[in-house]
Amino acid sequence: MVFGIVECQAMTLETRNGVVGMVIVSHSAAIASGLAELVAQVAGPDVPIVTAGGGPDGTLGTDGGRVLAAMRAADAGAGAVILVDLGSSVLSVRAALAELSADDAAGFVLADAPLVEGAVAAGVTASTGASLAEVAGAAEEARGIAKL
Amino acid sequence: MGSQSSELTVVRLPEAVALHARPAGAFVRAAAAFGATIEVRANGRQADAKSILQVLGLGADGGTELEISASGDDAAAAVARLAELVAGLA
Repeated sequence: MVFGIVECQAMTLETRNGVVGMVIVSHSAAIASGLAELVAQVAGPDVPIVTAGGGPDGTLGTDGGRVLAAMRAADAGAGAVILVDLGSSVLSVRAALAELSADDAAGFVLADAPLVEGAVAAGVTASTGASLAEVAGAAEEARGIAKL
Repeated sequence: MGSQSSELTVVRLPEAVALHARPAGAFVRAAAAFGATIEVRANGRQADAKSILQVLGLGADGGTELEISASGDDAAAAVARLAELVAGLA
């Protein structure tokens, strides 16, 4: 499922342009798509958000191939931050990253962040035109914010 | 170099609009456009106006008074813009 895909922009070898995208990886397609809907509402329509939810057979699980396709769809030129839920989501992302050249893999950051808060923080930060490092940093700051 | 300045204003959220989800996102994205350091206080809590999680954490329901303060070169413009945005939320 794809929310708010932006036009790809011309990219030179030295610089990445455009809005940083987001990949949401969850064992549950419903969690991933529901979170994408929430982030799109808070962050607005300009952030490319692509989900990779569920396993290859449509059950609960994760799928490295689907994660890789989502990563490619989410990177509109400025790279993309990847948010994951639990356990094997991390392994699936690492497997997808291993399929890419070092240059291409440098366009992605796997955020060590809580899924919902991290995605919301990253989405809003991305919508301001922030860099990939800033967007990933916003996601990881979510670890330190008390819920109550 | 422009002169450093500090600005503060109080604005009330429209009765029907809580500072949640979409309105909070609009507020934070507007704040991020300014170089000034901007804080918003409500319900005895304080948030960095550029942090969506902190702004959501204010728990500001419709009708809540928000105290918006800013310091920096564009503080006056930032406070004016954010007050206008809050007053115009629907």
